[in-house]
Amino acid sequence: MTDTSLPAVGARPAANVRSRVPANPFAILRRALVYVLLSIAAFVSVFPFFWMIVGATNKSADIIRGKNSFGSELFNNAATFFTQVDALRVFWNSAFIAVVGTALTLLISSLAGYGFEMFRSKVRERIFALLLLFLSIPFAAMMVPLFVMFSQAKLVNTYTAVILPTVASIFIIFYFRQATKAFPSELRDAAKIDGLKEWQIFLFVYMPVMRSTYAAATIIIFMANWNNYLWPLIVLQTAENKTITLIVSALTSAYTPDYGMILFGTVLATLPTLVIFFLLQRRFVEGMLGAVK
Amino acid sequence: MSSLKLSGVRKSYGHVEVIKGVDLEIKSKEFVVFVGPSGCGKSTLLRMIAGLEHISAGDLEIGGTRMNDVDPSKRGIAMVFQSYALYPHMTVRENMGFALRFAGVAKDQIARQVQDAARILALEPLLDRLPKELSGGQRQRVAIGRAIVRNPEVFLFDEPLSNLDAELRVHMRIEIARLHKELQTTVIYVTHDQVEAMTLADTIVVLRDGVIEQVGRPLDLYDNPANQFVAGFIGSPKMNFLAASIVEKSAGSVTVALRNHSGVQFTVPASGGAVGEDVTLGVRAEHFGEPGAGAADIRLNVDVAEHLGSTSYVYANAGGESLIIEREESRNEMGQEHITVSISPERAFLFDSKGQRIR
Amino acid sequence: MAYARLDRREQLTGWAFIAPALVLLGLFMIYPIIWSLWMSFQVGKGMNLSFGGFANIERLTKDPVFLRALGNTFIFFIIQVPIMITLALLFAVALNDSTLRFRGLFRTAIFLPCVTSLIAYSTIFKSMFATDGVVNQALMALHIIGSPIGWFTDPFWAKVIVILAITWRWTGYNMIFYLAALQNVDRSIYEAARIDGVPAWARFTHITIPMLKPVILFTTVISTIGTLQLFDEVYNFTAGSGGPSDSTLTLSLYIYNLTFKFMPSFGYSATVSWVIVVLVGILSFLQFLVARDRRRT
Repeated sequence: MTDTSLPAVGARPAANVRSRVPANPFAILRRALVYVLLSIAAFVSVFPFFWMIVGATNKSADIIRGKNSFGSELFNNAATFFTQVDALRVFWNSAFIAVVGTALTLLISSLAGYGFEMFRSKVRERIFALLLLFLSIPFAAMMVPLFVMFSQAKLVNTYTAVILPTVASIFIIFYFRQATKAFPSELRDAAKIDGLKEWQIFLFVYMPVMRSTYAAATIIIFMANWNNYLWPLIVLQTAENKTITLIVSALTSAYTPDYGMILFGTVLATLPTLVIFFLLQRRFVEGMLGAVK
Repeated sequence: MSSLKLSGVRKSYGHVEVIKGVDLEIKSKEFVVFVGPSGCGKSTLLRMIAGLEHISAGDLEIGGTRMNDVDPSKRGIAMVFQSYALYPHMTVRENMGFALRFAGVAKDQIARQVQDAARILALEPLLDRLPKELSGGQRQRVAIGRAIVRNPEVFLFDEPLSNLDAELRVHMRIEIARLHKELQTTVIYVTHDQVEAMTLADTIVVLRDGVIEQVGRPLDLYDNPANQFVAGFIGSPKMNFLAASIVEKSAGSVTVALRNHSGVQFTVPASGGAVGEDVTLGVRAEHFGEPGAGAADIRLNVDVAEHLGSTSYVYANAGGESLIIEREESRNEMGQEHITVSISPERAFLFDSKGQRIR
Repeated sequence: MAYARLDRREQLTGWAFIAPALVLLGLFMIYPIIWSLWMSFQVGKGMNLSFGGFANIERLTKDPVFLRALGNTFIFFIIQVPIMITLALLFAVALNDSTLRFRGLFRTAIFLPCVTSLIAYSTIFKSMFATDGVVNQALMALHIIGSPIGWFTDPFWAKVIVILAITWRWTGYNMIFYLAALQNVDRSIYEAARIDGVPAWARFTHITIPMLKPVILFTTVISTIGTLQLFDEVYNFTAGSGGPSDSTLTLSLYIYNLTFKFMPSFGYSATVSWVIVVLVGILSFLQFLVARDRRRT
């Protein structure tokens, strides 16, 4: 059984932690260099977040001038944002599309990953290989026909149009199939003997056992859906249906963008992905581990 | 409590046949062990009985009913897996009651049956733990408990002890024997370990390459193997095989000459074989005698001697043939380069060049 | 190997599990792709299309904007992917050291950018790299530059910003793949190498890299696809223009413009999109070749 309380990638029993402290000066120097480089990388990675939060409390003019201390404009920025943007509506659009899209993608892609791995046959192997080829076809190549299809179906400017094309993701199917290789086949045998039908095995055994895999996939899919830009930009046409990403993006292309207000909006737009990440972080690491095996 | 009958059972994957026609009858309450080297098809055969593998041809009957196309859960069987196959996200209690939940058994009834099984296996204090919080031996007991709860007609065990350390293995072996006595059900048990087979079985089924080599009681297989394969497989250490040829034949006996020991000849009771035929002489390690005690003596070069206290194993060779000889502890023989032992004809087996026994 | 022969019921169950995905993929991916292939041989404006043979391909070779976009995309790809993969590998190896303190913190910090929203990070970059912005001020305070750089007005620096931005966002993502793969490398291999006196750099090049090769290949292919499809960042940085003077125009952005901004030219834009398909195909194939060759030596 894997230890599901694995705290972090690279975690190892503490036993050898102290015994391996480098002793010679060269090793100490190298170690110091590693810390410096990682610190710079961490600073560069995190600073923009700090900048964003600070920016949300400052006036646009100060932000452009590079002020990086907290100001007192938070409520003004919020007020401006909420008068210019129907925030609730826009947030709802994003949330609906991301949540429903993620749930459907998880379900449909994991079903397929399970199906490809558990029921191998020559024909299905060929189909899978074909799908992997399609993985490298860029979205741009199908954008125009997709748009025409949805126009003809009179579905332009609907959530459905945004969600449907993303639901069956070859990348996620591939990910689930890889992870399923680590699913013990004896569990499935045991469940069959316990009288479960295949869909019950999937629902009551596979899904709970693979929850780390689902967690990692949730993060990846949710991020992709929440940040999806090009396709919603094409297919969502009226302001009341646009996602927060589209709306805030539109604000930045104003002639003189009000950065204080915009950064306040970006804090809102970033919160959900951050929350999901921190909620699922531990499982995410495990899930990735399983898939790379 | 059911009997089983397999007639002409076959299994093939594409063009590869892995079970090549198995006929077998298992009596009710019998403890049957399938044994054989890896890849012999013993697990596949068990999985076919369980309903986890489709039967390509032939019939499977459990309790007189043809079961070929019956769902695994409706065959009256329960199975214990090598990896235990406990559901990692469920407590011991949930694991044990899972099958009953899907069989539509009432909640309080499930609770009672789980409780009963837990008592038999002394699992009561562990009922609310998760599998990962249990030791290997405890997991194994839960896996058995899960099988017991279903009150099966036939228990199937697929190498259940091979993930345990040596000490626990002996312990669980005794536990399983006790359970069989207590529950009085039919058991089919798969293992590659002939010691498990010898100690647990009422009947041993020796398989090789998808074919049954011999069926019999443990000691019958030891005393009277049908062929060279069974002779070599049953018994520990492995039986020694010496190249020989028949030089003389009379009613009820043949005289053989050992190829790698010039001048060594002796007469073995057997009515088959022909003069000039190349044969193999099988002698168990424990059946060599002191010099002069048997019909002929052979002299060997000692490679290594292992002294275990009560017995010694001497690894020796002559003319490129390696032999293992079991002796009573013989400290005074330490460091010797040669050893002379005798062969008793009544404890030797003759096999023809195809490995079939010459009786 | 031969596949375990499934009985008919199992065959059907297998199809049932993958059917929803296959239907959706067929409808929203395979069908549009085939359609766009067909479209790429059509000429005309709007939906009034007629068969034009190789006219679109001919037009490609004479279209300076396309050539510009192609060149830009190539520059982004050739510079950005190697930088990002190298950084991700270095961070992963550094963070895989169990004696390192604050590993969890470093890991989370470096991964954080890829969880941020697209819009947040493009807005942040735009404001940070404004002419009077915090980056220019910091660089001037450190006396690295004398006068502010016009990050978004200078064609060279505009490209640099795009590369910086994508690298910032996706390095941590790739690093997680490597970290996960490193976890599965048997520790005792490194211990054996240490005992054999293999120096640290040789352990990296002769053990770590070969062990991670499949993952490196996978992430390189994925990153290649991502970079060749680059759209979101440049669209947001430049308000959709790909400016200044087309210096950040990418193929995807050009397709978008051809389809939705200019007088729609579906046939021609489909042709441009197939240029990306072909490029991704060739590059992925080359990457497979490189990975395989190294295995032989």
